[in-house]
Amino acid sequence: MKSSKVAKRYARALMGLSSDHAQLEAWGVELERLARIVDSPEVAAQLESPAVTHALRMQALGKIAERLDLSFPLRSFAVVVASHGRVADVTAMAESYARMLDDLMGRARATLTFAYPPTDEDLARVVDGLAAIAHKKIIPTTKVDASLVGGVVAELEGKIYDGSLATRLADAERRLSG
Amino acid sequence: MKSRIAIAATLLGAALIPSLALAAEGGVEERGTWGALLFYVINFLLFAGILWKYALPAAKNYFKDRATGIRDTISKADAAFRDAQVLANRAAERMAKLDAEKSQISSDLADETVYQIGRIYDLAQESAARIKRDAEISAAAMAENANRRVREALAHAAGRLAGDLVKSNFEAADQTRLVQGFVEKLGEEAGR
Repeated sequence: MKSSKVAKRYARALMGLSSDHAQLEAWGVELERLARIVDSPEVAAQLESPAVTHALRMQALGKIAERLDLSFPLRSFAVVVASHGRVADVTAMAESYARMLDDLMGRARATLTFAYPPTDEDLARVVDGLAAIAHKKIIPTTKVDASLVGGVVAELEGKIYDGSLATRLADAERRLSG
Repeated sequence: MKSRIAIAATLLGAALIPSLALAAEGGVEERGTWGALLFYVINFLLFAGILWKYALPAAKNYFKDRATGIRDTISKADAAFRDAQVLANRAAERMAKLDAEKSQISSDLADETVYQIGRIYDLAQESAARIKRDAEISAAAMAENANRRVREALAHAAGRLAGDLVKSNFEAADQTRLVQGFVEKLGEEAGR
């Protein structure tokens, strides 16, 4: 919880550096890349090692940012995060930043799980349906799960919309068993 | 003790003195019958006086003590007799009471037995009713449990069968139809 609050504070600070939506989007992508590298097991193990000094940790994160060819604000952000000893929270910061950016841009992320690989038409229809509920632009993440038997399950803003055949069969079985 | 010694000495003296008198008879010149009579009378009077003086009080005392002793003994015997009488009366009373007590105990025992029999009968009836009720409840629960298991087994089998049927006959059009239904539900949700 504390870590989440800290991540939100850092994400809000980064977002406050610009009002240009395109730039904020670009920073979001860069922060995501940085988080992915920092969160990888081998890098994380090195950065969190007690043998690595604070100065060395700052220097390492600066170099990673440089290697990733991040923009100047993101490099500075990475060094600030390292200097405050919050390297472990970078992934949470990236997630918080993505959520804030989505809110700012009026969009929502949804995870759509289909029983069979969806056609473009089916995907578009489901996305439109979810957009009508959320009143936001939907950014879908698609998955396929054969155990659903048929239909689709959507997860949007923490809520599950279940249209799968597996759930219907389970409901019917439950009703039959009384 | 002293009185007894005195009595013995007196009797011995009285016995010996006439003998001494007789023993001296041969040495005395016979002077006629009146003198001998007088001697005997005096001798007798002395003997009687000595007896009167010494033996009579002792004898009186002896008999007096003896009478007192006998009276005491009789008195004690009377007292013992009365005590025995009291004890006998008490024993008789107790015997009478014992009979009454025996009949009371017998009556109480009979009453208690009747009460206990009634109580045991009531308890037995209660236990029988409870056992019957528990048995009915258990039987109903077992029947319900069995029914539920059968229903569950049937439902599970039906569900599995339906799933297999759906999987074996599922086509792309079915998926499109399900997605369409899902989108319609989303539309209903959005309209609320």
